[in-house]
This record gives sequence, C-alpha cells and structure tokens, in this order.
Amino acid sequence: MTQRRIHASLAASPQPRLLRALTILATLGFASTLVLGLFVAGTDIQQGPVQRIFYIHMPAFFGAFTAFGATVLGGLIYLWRGSEAWDRIALAGVEVGLAFALINLLTGAIWARPIWNTWWTWDPRLTSAAVMCLTYAAYLMLRAGIENPQRRRRLMSVYGIFAFVSVLLTLFIIRIVPDTIHPVIVGASPQNAQGSFEATSGVVLALLPSLLLWLTLMPITLMWHRYRLALRQEAVDALKLKLLGG
Amino acid sequence: MRRAKQRTLFFLALLLALAWAGWTQAQNETPYYQSTDFNIPILAGWQNQSAEGVAQFYNPSAQATIRTTMAAGRDAQSAAAADLAGWLGLTGLDAPVYSGKVNLADGTWHSLVYDIDAGQSVSVMARQAGDRFIVITFLESDPASRTRMLTIAQADDTLDTPEPEIDSALQQLTQLRLDDLAAVGTSALPGGDWLVFQGESALAAGSVFGNDSYIALQEGAPGDLRALADAWQGTLLGFFITPDNSPYLWLGIAVSLLILAALAGSFVWRARALQKDLAMIEQLQSADSN
Repeated sequence: MTQRRIHASLAASPQPRLLRALTILATLGFASTLVLGLFVAGTDIQQGPVQRIFYIHMPAFFGAFTAFGATVLGGLIYLWRGSEAWDRIALAGVEVGLAFALINLLTGAIWARPIWNTWWTWDPRLTSAAVMCLTYAAYLMLRAGIENPQRRRRLMSVYGIFAFVSVLLTLFIIRIVPDTIHPVIVGASPQNAQGSFEATSGVVLALLPSLLLWLTLMPITLMWHRYRLALRQEAVDALKLKLLGG
Repeated sequence: MRRAKQRTLFFLALLLALAWAGWTQAQNETPYYQSTDFNIPILAGWQNQSAEGVAQFYNPSAQATIRTTMAAGRDAQSAAAADLAGWLGLTGLDAPVYSGKVNLADGTWHSLVYDIDAGQSVSVMARQAGDRFIVITFLESDPASRTRMLTIAQADDTLDTPEPEIDSALQQLTQLRLDDLAAVGTSALPGGDWLVFQGESALAAGSVFGNDSYIALQEGAPGDLRALADAWQGTLLGFFITPDNSPYLWLGIAVSLLILAALAGSFVWRARALQKDLAMIEQLQSADSN
C-alpha cells in the first residue's frame, strides 16, 4: 500500500464499534443522570430547585480534571518517547476539558444568582476556576499560532503539564485560602460558605452515577472522537502536502 | 439478540431500582412539614396533626399546640382572627393584649397575644406573603396555667441579655416586674441559651437571637416552660419558604447542553470539512493521473 493510500484510508476510516458503543452509553448515561438529578433526588427545601444544578456543576469539574489529567499524561509521554499519538491525546484533553470547565463555571454562576444574589464574585475558588479556563483557552490559541509541528508539540506538552497547576489550585484553594464563600459538600464547609447543603444519602445517590459518568465515560468518549479528528486532520494535511509536492 | 434483550432489561431494572431507592431516601430525609406555601420543622416528640396546608403539632403532656397556616385578611390581626375563628371557632375576638413588630431576616413579623378566656391565651406570629398572611399560633389548653410567647425587638441590641424585654413583657401582661422574680439560671436548649426567672405564681424565660428577644411567660401552675419556649422558637427560626428558582435550573441545563452540543457539533463540522477536503484531493489526484 502506498503512503498516499495509507493517508487516504486514515482520513476516511470508519468509526470503531467500541467507540460507537461508548457514544451510545455516554448519551444514555447522561440522560439517565439528568433524570436522577432532576426527578429522583429530593428538592432542597432551603435552596429550591436550583440546587439540582449541583448534579452537573460538580461532575463537570471532575470531568475537566480527567481530561486535563490526560493532557498532562500525553505531554509527559510525548516528551519522553516523542510519540505523536500522545500529543493528539493531550490536545483532545484540552478541548474536552475546556468545554467541561466552561460548563462548571457557567452553571456555578447561574446557581449563584438566586443563592448569592450575584452572577459573579471575586472569590478565591471562582477566580481560580476562571484562571483555569483562560489558561486552557490560551493553550489552544498558542497551539494554533506555532507553525513548526515538532516545536509546537514540544512546547504545548510543556505548557499542558504546567497548566495543570491551575486545576490543582482550583481544587485545593478552599483548603489553602479558607476565606471563601464557596460551599464544600464533602467535608466541612469553610466558615463563610454560603449555599451549603448536606450530602445526604439521596444527594449521594444522584451524585455518584453522575460523577462516575463525567469522570470516565464522557471525557474518554469525547476525547476519542477528538483524537480521531486530529488523526484525520493530520492525514489530510499530509495528503495536501504530497499533492503540492507532486 | 436474546442476550442483548436481557442486558437491556437488567439495565432498566437497575435504573428503576435506583430511582425507587432515591425517592424513598428523599422521603425519609425530610424532618420538615413541606407545602407549596411554607416549610416548617416537624417537632420531635410532638404529635403530628398536620393536614393539607396546615402544619399542626400537639404536645399532650403540656396540652400545647403549635400551628402554622396561611390565612386571608387585610392585616395581621384580621388574618390571625380569621384563622382562630376557623380553627377554634373564636368569633368576636377582643383586641390583642400585646401587639408588636419585629424585623426578621425574611420580613416584618407581627407578634400578637390574645387572652381568649380566664385561663387561656393564644400567641401569634404573622407575616404577609403575597395577598395572604402566614399565621403561626401557639396555644396552651391547660386551664391550670396561662402561657404566652412573645418576640420583641431589643431596645438595646448591644446587650446579649433578654432581661429588659422580659421586664417589659411582664409589666404589659402581668402585674409583675422582673425584680419580683428570682433568677433561676440559664438553660442551654437546642435553639439557644434561655435565661429563666421564677416568682411565686409566674415563670419567665428569655433568649436573644439576632437583635430580638424571644420571651415565654407562664402564670399559674408551672409546667415545662423551657421545652415549650424552645419548640416555639425552633418553629419560628426554622420557618422558611422554598423559593421557586426553577428558571435558573433550566437555564443551567440549557447552557450545559449547548456547550456539549457545540463541542460535538464542532467535531462533526470539522470532520465533514475534512471529508470535503479529501474528496477534493481525490479529484485532483485522479485529474493528475489522467
């Protein structure tokens, strides 16, 4: 098989059966967890229906954690072994993680409006979450601006590894800076936290499946799709180059 | 095929079991009487006599009732009178022996006390909610004693003692002053610390919460005033209305779905663009080879 044919078959390869199954499972799982959070979990009588946003808000952050974690892993292995596949995984992690982080940030702001009476406040947790989103948005912009593929992959691997500091900071900032109004559901809430609620068994029952889904199935499935897209993009680019080169 | 069917059935059964377990848990977790108008804590150890729209708890040993409902009226007094007429059949109620206002976190409440016969009094807290009033009533039916509950804004909110308000309540409702009673001590109750005073025929207790004093007065045969006062204060402090903020929930879900759809859509859009590029390349290749 010629190089050109290999590229062409890569660019037009059909979706693997496992990926198709994962996509169906992730879609069904998402719908089921939505039903659990919206209709099965009890209404928080103090916060009202808006508390149910929590069943998306918190799992979305952990979904972003998985995806950004994959970026770190991809970056490290790329730097070690120079395999382009791991660079694709790193890129997929950033795109999917950023979407999840935006869901986390925006659902938090929507919840805050009726509970804190404001869409936004420069609280340590909120600020670090916004910085995290901007850090990964900058990753995509920077990546698009570097022409040399080798240099781009190397630089973005290093960037992706260091960018994870913003994720860890967002996760742990309420333990480092306790002067926050952001509630903590698992463990003791900070003294000034507003909008806390108890992690009762009903809450845990609706939260756990959602957390598992966003931690594993959703980021893995979406990242796989994005990986395939990157693979196709590279194959088409290679074909274009070949064509231009005669 | 058969195995796929079995798997689907198993998955559905699991989902149903999960839903049922969640629903039962949610039912067991609520120590509140919940209605569309208000929520009120269910008093532990009291008989729950609640019905649709009425939260009512009865303490048989003290013969005391704490009841919460919504009533229509042009003001707090007429709403309280309407509820008492409907509940106890009291018509032609005299003016309250005590009437005051307190500004709590959720609005202005009217504290009213009515003496309904020689031995009984009714204490009411009422607040406007829409075109009706929330009416929370305390009634002690023991003819041997008269118990009244009042909530009074502190005259000096720098003080952390309810003594000035106990003195003022005693003067308005009895022939006594605080000096006529002896301090018994402080009782630490779940709702806060209560300062207790006892006289020959009267018992007074008070607790400060925020800038208000919660006062309980009892004349006649002494009963468990502290427990009654704590139940009353616990009811008032535990009262709240669940806000209807569901539009924010739907907005949050819509935004989440939109972001996920945008991400998935961008994958599809980019894949299609690549497919077009590929078709174009193949066309060019075949043109080249020709």
